Amino acid sequence: MTLAPITPTPITLALPKGRIFEEGIALLARAGLPLALPEKSRALQWRMGHVTLLELRNQDVPVYVDLGIADAGIVGKDVLAESGRAIYEPLDLGFSRCRLSLIREIGASGPLLRVASKYPRLTAEYLQERGLSAEVLKLSGNIELACLTGLADAVVDLVQTGSTLKANNLEELEIILQSSARLVVNRTSLKLKRGELRPLIGRLRELTGEQADAPH
Amino acid sequence: MILPQGTRDVLPPEWAWREHLRSKVGAHFSAWGYQGVELPALELQNPQHPQDHRAFKLIDRGGEVLALRSEYTTAVQRLVRLRFPGGPFPLRLQYGGRLWLRSQASELGRLREFTQLGVELVGVATPQADAELLALSLSTLEAVGVKAQLEVGHPGFLDALLEDSGLPEALRLKLHDVLDRKSGPDLSALIRSEGLGRELESTLNAVNELYGGPEVLSAARRLPLGTRAASALAHLERVAELFGKERLLFDLGMSRRYLYYSGFTFRAYAEGSPRQILGGGRYGSPESLSAGGAAEGHLGGAGFALGLERLTEVAARHLPAEPEVVLALDGSGAEYARSLGLIAEGCWTDDRAELSRYAALRGIKRGVQGQSFGDLAELLEAGA
Repeated sequence: MTLAPITPTPITLALPKGRIFEEGIALLARAGLPLALPEKSRALQWRMGHVTLLELRNQDVPVYVDLGIADAGIVGKDVLAESGRAIYEPLDLGFSRCRLSLIREIGASGPLLRVASKYPRLTAEYLQERGLSAEVLKLSGNIELACLTGLADAVVDLVQTGSTLKANNLEELEIILQSSARLVVNRTSLKLKRGELRPLIGRLRELTGEQADAPH
Repeated sequence: MILPQGTRDVLPPEWAWREHLRSKVGAHFSAWGYQGVELPALELQNPQHPQDHRAFKLIDRGGEVLALRSEYTTAVQRLVRLRFPGGPFPLRLQYGGRLWLRSQASELGRLREFTQLGVELVGVATPQADAELLALSLSTLEAVGVKAQLEVGHPGFLDALLEDSGLPEALRLKLHDVLDRKSGPDLSALIRSEGLGRELESTLNAVNELYGGPEVLSAARRLPLGTRAASALAHLERVAELFGKERLLFDLGMSRRYLYYSGFTFRAYAEGSPRQILGGGRYGSPESLSAGGAAEGHLGGAGFALGLERLTEVAARHLPAEPEVVLALDGSGAEYARSLGLIAEGCWTDDRAELSRYAALRGIKRGVQGQSFGDLAELLEAGA
């Protein structure tokens, strides 16, 4: 048996900017990491105790974790699935829930020839599974506009409450993916830093267990 | 475009590091009895080849499709069947050379031409043979100054466990993918949506946690296992005992990432490198061997390969310093300096100014003339 190290192994965590950053830090602090929300500044990374925190665009979190610059991170399932990276994903943290759906104008019935999305990989996979051969357009924002202006016959986008859809005469035809914040871990780090990461995963599981099991 | 994507030039000093590592590793394999073979880089295309969809293809004169070598194990198996059909087994072979892949999964610009050094221990399937490969891989890395941690697994364990559960193949493949990513949430979702029973649910959740030190083996023993899963586990336990359990990490949730590894697998993680630098395993089942599989041309074996590019990155800081370069003002001086283990470059001109300009660019400080060394600037001045 090896004794618990007196100084914890340093770890680097990647968190996306915005709400997940704040909720993630609060959750990780409750799980025992020496973290607090940093004051607004121009800093891009923070050292807090044995933890280094990186604040990234959400699409970049899987990249930093896959390539081992960060040992672990928090990212939405939508972004993780779109990245196509086979990193470890031990926990559903339960917050930041939304769904990725196929959306069209109410009453639209023509064929799907063009579908616009911020999620081209997931969109293409979905269409392929359905045997639909539509062109996939990668857009960067205000995706619904593609439908309203006739740029695309349908869009694949995130839906949280559905109020934007209603206001724009759009309807959600099919849910493609249920998303929420996930804990992700680098393949090598989970093995070599398991003394630090495994108890952390355990504590987070206890903290989020009930939330994650709640029906969607 | 100047170079095809994913290819690169190797320049000094990296070339010297690579050659140093290549010869150290090769010599180490030799000292363990692994004899070298060279295999053609051009192969006949075969749709059964495990990397066929990722290999570069060429058209031969007669219209046949050729493939550039994309992986060594299959090529060595072919060589053994053809050249050593009757052994003598065990046959210990080493190889080293380039491989090409048309598509590399994740990163743009990831190398599509790369170099592997490896060994195959063919014709035996004993735990002792597997333990030998573990010992050889660790000592090879040590020989080039790399401290590594070995992790072992057995894809046959998960295969058997899922097959014994009686689930349809499509679902088993989904479970392989989910367990390979250790995705707790996706596993729960599959268990819910497919209505898997309570017992299977608790087994799968347990498998997802089967990684870590030797305690993993006893945790696996406590699961309800069929004969094949139990025998995979017993094989792994025996290998671990022979090599030393405490020196190993285990991961029994690891799914097969290369289809030809049907038995025990292992990999090495080096400190300071986020990716594994060595990987290997056993292919061809022990059954096929005992049932005279060797005679039918189906030879079981095991081996491992390490990536020279990744090894160079990790080992660079352990490499010996290059010997000093001196400028030899005459032939006997050059011979003398080389006999002392220095690098001696010759003079190609009598133009002293040109020589001293070149030496400054190349960082050469000393010159040698006959049997005496001296400050190059002074030697050049004296000769002028």
